[in-house]
Amino acid sequence: MVFWTTLLIIHGLLAVALLGAITHQAVAVWFPLRSSSRSFVARFRAVPSTSYVWAIIVLYAATFVLGAWIYTQYRFTSRLALEQLRFFKTVGIFELKEHIATIGLIVLPAYWAFWRQPLSTDYAAARRQVTLFLAAVVWANFLIGHVVNNARGFGS
Amino acid sequence: MTATSKAAIFATTFTISYAVIYAICTELNLPLVTYHPVVGEVDFWWKPARTGPAMYWYGWMLTALIGASAVALIGTIAPENWIQRAILFGCLAALAYAIVYTLALFVYERATIELEPLRSRWLSLTVAVVVAAVLSWFVPAQWNERLWPAWAWIVPLGALAVLGYYLTPYFTR
Repeated sequence: MVFWTTLLIIHGLLAVALLGAITHQAVAVWFPLRSSSRSFVARFRAVPSTSYVWAIIVLYAATFVLGAWIYTQYRFTSRLALEQLRFFKTVGIFELKEHIATIGLIVLPAYWAFWRQPLSTDYAAARRQVTLFLAAVVWANFLIGHVVNNARGFGS
Repeated sequence: MTATSKAAIFATTFTISYAVIYAICTELNLPLVTYHPVVGEVDFWWKPARTGPAMYWYGWMLTALIGASAVALIGTIAPENWIQRAILFGCLAALAYAIVYTLALFVYERATIELEPLRSRWLSLTVAVVVAAVLSWFVPAQWNERLWPAWAWIVPLGALAVLGYYLTPYFTR
Protein backbone atom coordinates (compact mmCIF):
# COMPACT_ATOMS: atom_id res chain seq x y z
CA MET A 1 0.00 0.00 0.00
CA VAL A 2 2.92 2.32 0.75
CA PHE A 3 4.16 1.81 -2.80
CA TRP A 4 0.87 2.87 -4.40
CA THR A 5 0.44 5.78 -2.01
CA THR A 6 3.94 6.98 -2.90
CA LEU A 7 3.11 6.74 -6.60
CA LEU A 8 -0.13 8.63 -6.02
CA ILE A 9 1.72 11.42 -4.22
CA ILE A 10 4.32 11.67 -7.01
CA HIS A 11 1.48 11.67 -9.55
CA GLY A 12 -0.15 14.54 -7.64
CA LEU A 13 3.10 16.51 -7.40
CA LEU A 14 3.74 16.14 -11.12
CA ALA A 15 0.17 17.28 -11.76
CA VAL A 16 0.75 20.39 -9.65
CA ALA A 17 3.89 21.22 -11.65
CA LEU A 18 2.03 20.62 -14.90
CA LEU A 19 -0.87 22.76 -13.74
CA GLY A 20 1.48 25.63 -12.95
CA ALA A 21 3.33 25.36 -16.25
CA ILE A 22 0.26 25.13 -18.50
CA THR A 23 -1.55 27.91 -16.61
CA HIS A 24 1.48 30.19 -16.94
CA GLN A 25 1.74 29.48 -20.64
CA ALA A 26 -1.98 29.86 -21.34
CA VAL A 27 -2.15 33.18 -19.51
CA ALA A 28 1.03 34.42 -21.22
CA VAL A 29 -0.23 33.50 -24.66
CA TRP A 30 -3.79 34.81 -24.19
CA PHE A 31 -2.97 37.93 -22.19
CA PRO A 32 0.56 38.91 -23.20
CA LEU A 33 2.08 41.77 -21.25
CA ARG A 34 2.15 45.02 -23.22
CA SER A 35 3.31 47.43 -20.54
CA SER A 36 6.20 47.23 -18.10
CA SER A 37 4.21 46.78 -14.89
CA ARG A 38 5.94 45.00 -12.03
CA SER A 39 2.84 43.67 -10.27
CA PHE A 40 2.45 39.96 -9.46
CA VAL A 41 -0.18 39.50 -12.19
CA ALA A 42 2.02 41.27 -14.73
CA ARG A 43 4.97 39.05 -13.89
CA PHE A 44 2.70 36.00 -14.12
CA ARG A 45 1.75 37.08 -17.67
CA ALA A 46 5.27 38.02 -18.67
CA VAL A 47 6.78 34.52 -18.85
CA PRO A 48 8.33 33.43 -22.17
CA SER A 49 5.66 30.95 -23.25
CA THR A 50 7.82 29.04 -25.73
CA SER A 51 10.16 27.91 -22.96
CA TYR A 52 7.34 25.91 -21.35
CA VAL A 53 6.55 23.66 -24.31
CA TRP A 54 8.85 20.73 -23.64
CA ALA A 55 8.33 20.95 -19.88
CA ILE A 56 4.58 20.67 -20.44
CA ILE A 57 4.92 17.75 -22.86
CA VAL A 58 7.27 15.82 -20.55
CA LEU A 59 5.23 16.60 -17.41
CA TYR A 60 1.98 15.60 -19.11
CA ALA A 61 3.45 12.33 -20.37
CA ALA A 62 4.99 11.50 -16.99
CA THR A 63 1.80 12.36 -15.09
CA PHE A 64 -0.23 10.30 -17.56
CA VAL A 65 2.03 7.23 -17.31
CA LEU A 66 1.95 7.31 -13.51
CA GLY A 67 -1.82 7.82 -13.51
CA ALA A 68 -2.31 4.92 -15.94
CA TRP A 69 -0.18 2.72 -13.66
CA ILE A 70 -2.03 3.69 -10.48
CA TYR A 71 -5.30 3.11 -12.33
CA THR A 72 -4.65 -0.65 -12.30
CA GLN A 73 -4.70 -0.60 -8.50
CA TYR A 74 -7.68 1.79 -8.33
CA ARG A 75 -9.72 -0.53 -10.57
CA PHE A 76 -9.94 -3.41 -8.13
CA THR A 77 -9.55 -1.61 -4.81
CA SER A 78 -10.95 1.91 -4.56
CA ARG A 79 -13.44 1.56 -7.39
CA LEU A 80 -15.01 -1.60 -5.99
CA ALA A 81 -15.41 0.17 -2.65
CA LEU A 82 -16.96 3.20 -4.36
CA GLU A 83 -19.43 0.95 -6.20
CA GLN A 84 -20.34 -0.87 -3.00
CA LEU A 85 -20.93 2.49 -1.35
CA ARG A 86 -23.06 3.45 -4.40
CA PHE A 87 -20.87 6.46 -5.17
CA PHE A 88 -21.79 6.20 -8.85
CA LYS A 89 -21.22 9.87 -9.60
CA THR A 90 -17.69 9.59 -8.27
CA VAL A 91 -17.07 6.48 -10.37
CA GLY A 92 -18.59 8.19 -13.41
CA ILE A 93 -16.51 11.31 -13.04
CA PHE A 94 -13.38 9.18 -12.77
CA GLU A 95 -14.40 7.39 -15.98
CA LEU A 96 -14.59 10.85 -17.55
CA LYS A 97 -11.14 11.64 -16.17
CA GLU A 98 -9.62 8.68 -18.02
CA HIS A 99 -11.13 9.93 -21.30
CA ILE A 100 -10.06 13.53 -20.66
CA ALA A 101 -6.53 12.35 -19.88
CA THR A 102 -6.38 10.37 -23.13
CA ILE A 103 -7.73 13.26 -25.18
CA GLY A 104 -5.17 15.60 -23.57
CA LEU A 105 -2.38 13.17 -24.37
CA ILE A 106 -3.30 12.92 -28.03
CA VAL A 107 -3.57 16.71 -28.38
CA LEU A 108 0.15 16.90 -27.48
CA PRO A 109 1.40 16.09 -31.03
CA ALA A 110 -0.61 18.99 -32.49
CA TYR A 111 0.41 21.20 -29.56
CA TRP A 112 4.06 20.37 -30.27
CA ALA A 113 3.61 21.03 -34.00
CA PHE A 114 2.03 24.45 -33.42
CA TRP A 115 4.74 25.48 -30.94
CA ARG A 116 7.67 24.32 -33.07
CA GLN A 117 10.47 26.83 -33.55
CA PRO A 118 10.51 29.09 -35.47
CA LEU A 119 6.92 29.88 -34.51
CA SER A 120 4.71 29.95 -37.58
CA THR A 121 2.31 32.89 -37.89
CA ASP A 122 -0.05 30.51 -39.73
CA TYR A 123 -0.55 28.65 -36.46
CA ALA A 124 -0.80 31.66 -34.15
CA ALA A 125 -4.55 31.26 -33.52
CA ALA A 126 -4.39 27.46 -33.30
CA ARG A 127 -1.45 27.71 -30.91
CA ARG A 128 -3.47 29.82 -28.50
CA GLN A 129 -6.58 27.67 -28.82
CA VAL A 130 -4.82 24.34 -28.34
CA THR A 131 -2.90 25.71 -25.35
CA LEU A 132 -6.15 26.86 -23.76
CA PHE A 133 -7.76 23.50 -24.50
CA LEU A 134 -4.83 21.67 -22.92
CA ALA A 135 -5.00 23.96 -19.89
CA ALA A 136 -8.72 23.18 -19.50
CA VAL A 137 -7.94 19.45 -19.76
CA VAL A 138 -5.24 19.64 -17.09
CA TRP A 139 -7.42 21.71 -14.74
CA ALA A 140 -10.39 19.37 -15.20
CA ASN A 141 -8.32 16.28 -14.50
CA PHE A 142 -6.62 17.86 -11.53
CA LEU A 143 -9.93 18.80 -9.93
CA ILE A 144 -11.54 15.44 -10.70
CA GLY A 145 -8.55 13.60 -9.29
CA HIS A 146 -8.80 15.70 -6.16
CA VAL A 147 -12.51 14.98 -5.74
CA VAL A 148 -12.07 11.23 -6.27
CA ASN A 149 -9.15 11.13 -3.88
CA ASN A 150 -11.33 12.81 -1.28
CA ALA A 151 -13.97 10.11 -1.73
CA ARG A 152 -11.70 7.09 -1.48
CA GLY A 153 -8.04 7.91 -1.70
CA PHE A 154 -5.04 8.55 0.45
CA GLY A 155 -5.36 7.06 3.91
CA SER A 156 -8.85 5.60 3.40
CA MET B 1 -2.88 28.65 -44.82
CA THR B 2 -1.11 25.35 -45.33
CA ALA B 3 0.87 23.23 -42.93
CA THR B 4 4.54 24.09 -43.07
CA SER B 5 5.90 20.55 -42.87
CA LYS B 6 4.99 16.89 -43.10
CA ALA B 7 5.56 16.62 -39.35
CA ALA B 8 2.87 19.23 -38.69
CA ILE B 9 0.46 17.48 -41.04
CA PHE B 10 1.17 14.12 -39.41
CA ALA B 11 0.78 15.52 -35.88
CA THR B 12 -2.45 17.38 -36.61
CA THR B 13 -4.02 14.51 -38.55
CA PHE B 14 -2.96 12.08 -35.82
CA THR B 15 -4.60 14.17 -33.08
CA ILE B 16 -7.84 14.57 -35.01
CA SER B 17 -8.14 10.95 -36.16
CA TYR B 18 -7.12 9.54 -32.77
CA ALA B 19 -9.94 11.45 -31.06
CA VAL B 20 -12.50 10.05 -33.49
CA ILE B 21 -11.19 6.47 -33.47
CA TYR B 22 -10.83 6.45 -29.68
CA ALA B 23 -14.46 7.54 -29.24
CA ILE B 24 -15.57 4.81 -31.65
CA CYS B 25 -13.42 2.15 -29.94
CA THR B 26 -14.82 3.13 -26.56
CA GLU B 27 -18.44 3.02 -27.64
CA LEU B 28 -18.14 -0.17 -29.72
CA ASN B 29 -15.76 -1.71 -27.17
CA LEU B 30 -12.88 -2.53 -29.51
CA PRO B 31 -9.81 -2.95 -27.31
CA LEU B 32 -6.64 -4.36 -28.86
CA VAL B 33 -5.86 -5.95 -25.49
CA THR B 34 -7.70 -6.67 -22.25
CA TYR B 35 -5.87 -6.26 -18.96
CA HIS B 36 -6.84 -8.22 -15.87
CA PRO B 37 -5.37 -6.16 -13.00
CA VAL B 38 -5.95 -8.69 -10.19
CA VAL B 39 -3.89 -11.41 -11.87
CA GLY B 40 -1.74 -9.01 -13.91
CA GLU B 41 -2.44 -10.78 -17.21
CA VAL B 42 -3.01 -9.37 -20.66
CA ASP B 43 -5.24 -10.95 -23.31
CA PHE B 44 -5.34 -10.08 -26.96
CA TRP B 45 -8.52 -8.31 -28.18
CA TRP B 46 -11.68 -8.24 -26.04
CA LYS B 47 -12.03 -10.82 -23.26
CA PRO B 48 -14.59 -10.98 -20.45
CA ALA B 49 -13.63 -10.33 -16.83
CA ARG B 50 -12.04 -13.23 -14.94
CA THR B 51 -10.77 -13.22 -11.37
CA GLY B 52 -11.68 -9.60 -10.82
CA PRO B 53 -12.56 -6.82 -13.24
CA ALA B 54 -11.21 -6.45 -16.77
CA MET B 55 -9.70 -3.18 -18.03
CA TYR B 56 -10.25 -2.16 -21.65
CA TRP B 57 -8.96 1.43 -21.53
CA TYR B 58 -5.39 0.48 -22.47
CA GLY B 59 -6.74 -1.63 -25.32
CA TRP B 60 -8.91 1.20 -26.68
CA MET B 61 -5.89 3.49 -26.66
CA LEU B 62 -3.78 0.93 -28.51
CA THR B 63 -6.46 0.30 -31.15
CA ALA B 64 -6.82 4.06 -31.66
CA LEU B 65 -3.03 4.44 -31.79
CA ILE B 66 -2.77 1.97 -34.68
CA GLY B 67 -5.72 3.48 -36.54
CA ALA B 68 -4.63 7.09 -36.04
CA SER B 69 -1.03 6.33 -37.06
CA ALA B 70 -2.29 4.76 -40.29
CA VAL B 71 -4.57 7.73 -41.03
CA ALA B 72 -1.81 10.22 -40.20
CA LEU B 73 0.61 8.39 -42.53
CA ILE B 74 -1.94 8.57 -45.32
CA GLY B 75 -2.37 12.25 -44.44
CA THR B 76 1.29 12.93 -45.11
CA ILE B 77 1.08 11.27 -48.53
CA ALA B 78 -2.25 12.66 -49.75
CA PRO B 79 -2.58 16.25 -50.99
CA GLU B 80 -3.16 18.61 -48.08
CA ASN B 81 -6.38 20.09 -49.45
CA TRP B 82 -7.85 16.57 -49.67
CA ILE B 83 -7.10 15.98 -46.01
CA GLN B 84 -8.61 19.32 -45.07
CA ARG B 85 -11.73 18.59 -47.05
CA ALA B 86 -12.01 15.04 -45.67
CA ILE B 87 -11.80 16.33 -42.08
CA LEU B 88 -14.40 19.01 -42.78
CA PHE B 89 -16.65 16.36 -44.33
CA GLY B 90 -16.25 14.07 -41.31
CA CYS B 91 -17.01 16.84 -38.84
CA LEU B 92 -20.04 18.05 -40.77
CA ALA B 93 -21.30 14.47 -41.10
CA ALA B 94 -20.99 13.90 -37.35
CA LEU B 95 -22.77 17.18 -36.56
CA ALA B 96 -25.45 16.56 -39.18
CA TYR B 97 -26.02 13.03 -37.86
CA ALA B 98 -26.52 14.31 -34.31
CA ILE B 99 -29.02 16.94 -35.50
CA VAL B 100 -30.89 14.71 -37.99
CA TYR B 101 -31.19 11.75 -35.62
CA THR B 102 -32.37 13.97 -32.76
CA LEU B 103 -34.95 15.60 -35.03
CA ALA B 104 -36.06 12.20 -36.36
CA LEU B 105 -36.63 10.87 -32.83
CA PHE B 106 -38.41 14.09 -31.87
CA VAL B 107 -40.81 13.76 -34.82
CA TYR B 108 -41.25 10.00 -34.21
CA GLU B 109 -42.29 10.52 -30.60
CA ARG B 110 -44.81 13.24 -31.45
CA ALA B 111 -46.26 11.82 -34.67
CA THR B 112 -49.87 10.62 -34.60
CA ILE B 113 -49.09 7.91 -37.16
CA GLU B 114 -46.46 5.17 -37.02
CA LEU B 115 -43.20 6.40 -38.62
CA GLU B 116 -40.93 3.48 -37.81
CA PRO B 117 -38.23 4.35 -40.43
CA LEU B 118 -37.44 7.52 -38.47
CA ARG B 119 -35.95 5.37 -35.71
CA SER B 120 -33.39 3.90 -38.11
CA ARG B 121 -29.85 5.14 -37.47
CA TRP B 122 -28.95 4.22 -41.04
CA LEU B 123 -31.52 6.60 -42.46
CA SER B 124 -30.20 9.48 -40.35
CA LEU B 125 -26.63 8.53 -41.24
CA THR B 126 -27.41 8.52 -44.96
CA VAL B 127 -29.07 11.94 -44.74
CA ALA B 128 -26.13 13.26 -42.70
CA VAL B 129 -23.58 11.98 -45.21
CA VAL B 130 -25.45 13.60 -48.11
CA VAL B 131 -25.79 16.92 -46.24
CA ALA B 132 -22.10 16.85 -45.26
CA ALA B 133 -21.02 16.01 -48.83
CA VAL B 134 -23.02 18.90 -50.27
CA LEU B 135 -21.86 21.40 -47.64
CA SER B 136 -18.20 20.40 -47.78
CA TRP B 137 -18.28 20.59 -51.57
CA PHE B 138 -19.40 24.23 -51.47
CA VAL B 139 -17.17 25.43 -48.62
CA PRO B 140 -14.43 27.64 -50.14
CA ALA B 141 -10.89 26.28 -49.99
CA GLN B 142 -9.75 29.34 -48.00
CA TRP B 143 -12.19 28.53 -45.21
CA ASN B 144 -10.86 24.98 -45.11
CA GLU B 145 -7.29 26.19 -44.91
CA ARG B 146 -8.12 28.66 -42.16
CA LEU B 147 -10.09 26.12 -40.14
CA TRP B 148 -7.71 23.18 -40.59
CA PRO B 149 -5.40 23.59 -37.55
CA ALA B 150 -8.35 24.44 -35.28
CA TRP B 151 -9.78 20.96 -35.81
CA ALA B 152 -6.93 19.78 -33.55
CA TRP B 153 -8.94 20.96 -30.55
CA ILE B 154 -12.49 21.09 -31.93
CA VAL B 155 -12.58 17.38 -32.83
CA PRO B 156 -11.12 16.21 -29.47
CA LEU B 157 -13.64 18.46 -27.71
CA GLY B 158 -16.44 16.89 -29.75
CA ALA B 159 -15.12 13.41 -28.92
CA LEU B 160 -15.12 14.34 -25.23
CA ALA B 161 -18.73 15.52 -25.51
CA VAL B 162 -19.74 12.19 -27.02
CA LEU B 163 -17.77 10.20 -24.42
CA GLY B 164 -19.27 12.31 -21.64
CA TYR B 165 -22.78 11.77 -23.00
CA TYR B 166 -22.34 8.00 -22.86
CA LEU B 167 -21.34 8.27 -19.21
CA THR B 168 -24.63 9.92 -18.19
CA PRO B 169 -26.03 6.68 -16.66
CA TYR B 170 -23.47 7.09 -13.86
CA PHE B 171 -25.00 10.46 -13.00
CA THR B 172 -28.68 9.55 -13.33
CA ARG B 173 -28.81 6.40 -11.18
